[in-house]
Amino acid sequence: MLNIVIDGQPIEVQPGTTIMEASRANGIDIPYLCYHPDLSISGGCRLCMVEIEGRADPVPSCGQACQDKMVIHTQSKQLSQLRREIIDLFLADHPLDCVICEKAGSCLLQKYAYEYGLTKTSHKFNVSRSLYQDDNPFFVRDHKYCILCSRCVRACSEIVGADAIEIVGRGFESHVATPFDGPMIDSTCVFCGSCVQVCPTAALMPVSRAGKGREWEMERIETICGYCGVGCKIEYALKDGEICYAQGVSEQSVNGDFLCTKGRYGWDFATNPDRLANPMIRRDIAYQLGLTDEPWELPEISPLKVRQPKIGDSFIETDWDTALNLVAERMKDIVQTHGPNAVMGLASARCTNEENYLFQKFIRAGIGTNNVDHCARL
Amino acid sequence: MDSTHLEALAQEERDRQGKYKRRIFCCTSTACLSAGAAITHNTLDQALAQCQCDEEEAEIVPTGCMGLCSQGPLVRVEIQNHAPLLYGNVSADVAQQIVTEHIPLSANEEDALDDDSIDATTPHDFMHLRASGAKKSLERFIIPLDSPFFAKQVRVVLTETGQINPEKLDDYLAHDGYQALAHVLAEMSPEDVCEEILNSGLRGRGGAGFPTGLKWKLANQELASEKYVIVNGDEGDPGAYMDRTVMEDDPHRVLEGMIICAYATGATSGYLYIRGEYPIAIRRIRRAIQAARRRGILGKSVLGTEFSFDAEIRIGAGAFVCGEETALIHSIEGQRGIPRIRPPYPTAAGLRDRPTVINNVETMANVPSIINKGAAWFASIGTDKSKGTKVFALAGQLRNTGLIEVPMGITLQEIVYEIGGGVPEGREFKAAQTGGPSGGCIPKAHLDTPIDYESLRQLGSIMGSGGLVIIDDSTLMPDFARFFIDFCVDESCGKCVPCRVGTVQIREQLDKIIGGNAGPEDLDRLENLCNVVKKTSLCGLGQSAPNPVLSTLKYFRDEYEALLKVKTADVTNN
Amino acid sequence: MIVPNKTATGNQHPSGDERFKKIDNQLRRLKYEKDALLEILNSAQELFGYLSEDLLIYIAKQLHVPLSRVYGVATFYHMFTFEPLGEHTCIICTGTACHVKGANRIIEAISDKFSISAGETTPDGLFSLTIARCLGSCGLAPVVVLDGQVRGKETPETVTRRAWEIVAFSKDKQAEGS
Repeated sequence: MLNIVIDGQPIEVQPGTTIMEASRANGIDIPYLCYHPDLSISGGCRLCMVEIEGRADPVPSCGQACQDKMVIHTQSKQLSQLRREIIDLFLADHPLDCVICEKAGSCLLQKYAYEYGLTKTSHKFNVSRSLYQDDNPFFVRDHKYCILCSRCVRACSEIVGADAIEIVGRGFESHVATPFDGPMIDSTCVFCGSCVQVCPTAALMPVSRAGKGREWEMERIETICGYCGVGCKIEYALKDGEICYAQGVSEQSVNGDFLCTKGRYGWDFATNPDRLANPMIRRDIAYQLGLTDEPWELPEISPLKVRQPKIGDSFIETDWDTALNLVAERMKDIVQTHGPNAVMGLASARCTNEENYLFQKFIRAGIGTNNVDHCARL
Repeated sequence: MDSTHLEALAQEERDRQGKYKRRIFCCTSTACLSAGAAITHNTLDQALAQCQCDEEEAEIVPTGCMGLCSQGPLVRVEIQNHAPLLYGNVSADVAQQIVTEHIPLSANEEDALDDDSIDATTPHDFMHLRASGAKKSLERFIIPLDSPFFAKQVRVVLTETGQINPEKLDDYLAHDGYQALAHVLAEMSPEDVCEEILNSGLRGRGGAGFPTGLKWKLANQELASEKYVIVNGDEGDPGAYMDRTVMEDDPHRVLEGMIICAYATGATSGYLYIRGEYPIAIRRIRRAIQAARRRGILGKSVLGTEFSFDAEIRIGAGAFVCGEETALIHSIEGQRGIPRIRPPYPTAAGLRDRPTVINNVETMANVPSIINKGAAWFASIGTDKSKGTKVFALAGQLRNTGLIEVPMGITLQEIVYEIGGGVPEGREFKAAQTGGPSGGCIPKAHLDTPIDYESLRQLGSIMGSGGLVIIDDSTLMPDFARFFIDFCVDESCGKCVPCRVGTVQIREQLDKIIGGNAGPEDLDRLENLCNVVKKTSLCGLGQSAPNPVLSTLKYFRDEYEALLKVKTADVTNN
Repeated sequence: MIVPNKTATGNQHPSGDERFKKIDNQLRRLKYEKDALLEILNSAQELFGYLSEDLLIYIAKQLHVPLSRVYGVATFYHMFTFEPLGEHTCIICTGTACHVKGANRIIEAISDKFSISAGETTPDGLFSLTIARCLGSCGLAPVVVLDGQVRGKETPETVTRRAWEIVAFSKDKQAEGS
């Protein structure tokens, strides 16, 4: 273990820990734009510079590993001034559209401009990129807000492995692009939206969010994604009960900031009026059990062909106890009359490992058959 | 092949060369080629063939740079037992004359002697010759070899440059080539080599001046299954062409230094990264590698020992930033040439994350001489902290421009006025620009400063790779600073914001000043901005990009002030 | 890796162009290592004169390198071009020594004469003007490369005259041909 001191606070760290990691773990705030805990180190934003005693120049804390007995200062007059100048330079290349910007409130650049008291750039405003690309249904690429932190490129290559985008060109004119600056759909993009989430500014924004409201007005609900057994944590941002966008929950979950395309964009069922909210019992059985007075009648034409059957046509709503009791009874019946091998269990990949384990245990020990399988094996 | 075989080959070549009465050297390096040296060389060859003289009379040797590039094409005539003669501006006609004058034609020889009644083969007599009109005309082209341009120089890196045929390995062997390597392999341990280089005080010639021996030692101490040596030949500074010359004109010296470095650090393979703009250097290094492989100097079992090493060429594609070592590594790995933050330094994790030593061409070319003549000899040249010599590409408004090698600690005064011959008539010296776009301008007042790494940095410039451009009073400093900033804007990789946006903003400020739209406060803003870019940029390119502006602001502030809008206060006062 | 299927499948380029075979040879020599990307791009630029989309896709596929990276690398280095150059080329060195000795005036003169700016090709595809960052012939500044021939100590007049002559000659030949 190494002993270091950050801002007067003695800290013990594992060898190989960077100053940024040590500070974050101990609640010491160092500003940054290009750093991301799950991505490789870029070192391009120059905001996370700190002073190390005995070194003449400030060093970027994201790439500097702690050494024993290091004494580090994350705040000083010199650092504040340098950071202010750097943000000033960022703002010379980034329109201050904060009043209408959808990202306002969660934009990192805005946050630091506020913290360092910059209302506008002191330089000549000279924006290098003006491309606006809305070539896909999921996200918009608005290059004039891009600060070239390369987080999106790193996420696409290192986390997703899609390698759909890369920084193209050189210097002031460089920009993030697909091969030959083509539409997203022609690239190797899998539309997982990881790039959108790691973007610190409004350069990448979800389409679904447009015009829905300001960041601070949104209610945020955390849940576990139901699409598969990985158990990604998702945060839904809602305004007036309507989902505006979904995102991964940084650093407290298996997935961090990253979700797949289904988790991130496949949530429109959540507020669909046709969504099942309660267990249902087939109308004919419910009639037999005396749960309803209306018998079930076959529609004149097969419902599959003409229209989607409405839930109420052939099912009635019930509560969980009734439903589960009914299933248990019927199951017992079948096992008694036809033997346990007449039953087969098929588990879902959307359940967790533990749930799947319980399920096979139930089929094997409870029902008494080895007829059990899982959809991921098919 | 082992070292005794090597010595035999060298002796054979020395004998072969010794049997010629005259050897005519024709410079065929890039600068002379652009002045028409190809035609000169052809003419010399044809003229010699036409003489139909004995084979032993003369030999035409295509060589590398002889230094005085402004007078190209250059031809040097060496006659046994006589001082050599150097001719400048040798066109086809002059070349023809040189052959006819120096080589006795088998048929006309007697006549020639009768005409002038002197021995045409004696250069000293020839120089004082007045009798023949033809010879008088030739005399105009003679460049005295005892002039300060040559006399002030000390040649270590450029020892063989201009003396040997760069495409012939044997010629290099005959000049004690690969002796250092043989010595190192036979008698020194890798640690000894590192120690020797460290003791010599050799520092990186790429610009930053890191002690080479220390770098090697660090790499030597790393434990890794594979290590690499990279020779940095991505000389991008406009106005600098030292590395190109060394690669073109003495490729084996670079290779020898590289192999010694590999032995000292334990590397098994290496790369020579050469700028794509240098096709001749690429060709010559490629041939040198092939020749060295054939002779067992490269490849498995170098010179019959257990040590194995092989080298390959990698060609750059036009990116100044690739001269930065981490960017260069990315480039060799087939990626965008973008620097990364250090640490880890390449000696710990470089190419393919393995320990890697990266040295500049000129640094490598110093190594064989240090081994041959000893660390103490090398350390005796130069100043306290900067040892040895430095090659400069002297260009701009001077009488003599070209490639020079001078001991560290020489003053700019000596370089400009003695070696360079001063600025041409009617012009006045204004500043010396060193270090290209990363360096600064040094005014007349500081011309007497001895040149070394520290003194140049103190003056707000850097040693850089060794471009030295002299500007006269026809150049306006704000314009000149803008030229370099323009270069940096163009060459910035775009990774970090101070360099990407900062350089553009410096250019905006300069434009404002040059356009006459700036007030006095804009100068302070410009200076402040430059300091921010210098302090916060990620790599050497950004950190040094404001140097041209800062140094001109420091020494030529009056020129900036003259461009400012007249202050309102002044107007009312009038 | 999925690459847009603009070239046909298989290991060889469907056009049967000899130059692709040369690229293949180079690839084999470099053992299809991903590191070799820059080398291959250099060869491709030399063989084809410019890097077309098709060519970049082919290289990406052969090296198993993401196309985005190939494009990113190709656009980073200034020696790669994406459009064919003119029949005749004029490269003007703008290194420090040439700058001090008036390279800008040569660029202006050529730009005026041919109505193109640096980095452009005339509409008839006969003449391209490019700028180089130091060719390393500083002793002979200002330096110009006309159709591969390096010429030192040039003036705006000599360069424009020579360039105009070469282009006029080509135009005459074209006129004769048609």
